[in-house]
Amino acid sequence: MRFCVVRGALDEGRARAVAHRLLQTKERGYLPLLRRFLHLVKLEYARHSAQIESAVPMPADLRAHVLDRLTNLYGPAVTSSFVHNPDLIGGMRIKIGSDVYDGSVRSTLARLAKRLGITATNLAAGAS
Amino acid sequence: MYALALLLEPNSGGQIQQIADTFGVDWPHLVAQIISFSIVCILLQRFAYKPVLNMLDQRRKQIAEGLADRERIKSELAQTETKCHELIVQANTQAALLIDEARKSAARLQQQETQRAISAAEQIVMKAREAAAQEHARMLAELKREVGQLVILTAANAMAKALTLEDQRRMVVETSERLATVA
Repeated sequence: MRFCVVRGALDEGRARAVAHRLLQTKERGYLPLLRRFLHLVKLEYARHSAQIESAVPMPADLRAHVLDRLTNLYGPAVTSSFVHNPDLIGGMRIKIGSDVYDGSVRSTLARLAKRLGITATNLAAGAS
Repeated sequence: MYALALLLEPNSGGQIQQIADTFGVDWPHLVAQIISFSIVCILLQRFAYKPVLNMLDQRRKQIAEGLADRERIKSELAQTETKCHELIVQANTQAALLIDEARKSAARLQQQETQRAISAAEQIVMKAREAAAQEHARMLAELKREVGQLVILTAANAMAKALTLEDQRRMVVETSERLATVA
């Protein structure tokens, strides 16, 4: 797996080459090994894959701004997907790997509700 | 007796004969009477006087025994009366002690029961206060939760309507700036 990571990012060509090599040689136990390799590739991909949710559709300049910040933090290999989620009420939520940056109004209200001892508050229903 | 003394003297035979003749004494008849009288005396002594004396002696003994028994019974009765009196006095003393002890026990028991009732009442009052406090706290928490829920839902609704595109943009920029501070 270390062979497939170049400058902190997954090299898809090298990953494919490794998979082809395993399939061609068909050494003993190659199927569990392939499964393990696939799992590691998924983890590495998720580590550099960002899901960006916003309450309103994000304009292009803001997308570039956010991507610039993510690239500075996680490197140039970051892939991103922008999602429009009105349930957030306001603000943005970024999930990349196991890291979450939540600046949405929904999360702020959820923290307030937790502090007040309210467990199940349907904020999205209230907002709609 | 005097005549018999005269008869015993040896040299006075003539005189005795003379006296006997004077008084008309028949010697054989006299001897026979003396013998028969002696027999009667012996028989009386044997079969009359002796049993009667024995019976009198027994009666005397019985009377003496009866008197002795009477005295003994009298003294025993006196002793019994004394003992009875002592026992009565002792019983009275013990009864008085028992009554006194019973009174003290009753007073002690009454005090204990009173204390127990007071402590039970205090516990009931304390539990009632605790229950009231818990109920009050529960109601406050419930009220706080309901008010909070209402406030949050109202805030969410109001913010969803009030947030402009400029506000949304500002919030997105603030979140992206947080990424910069993390880096």
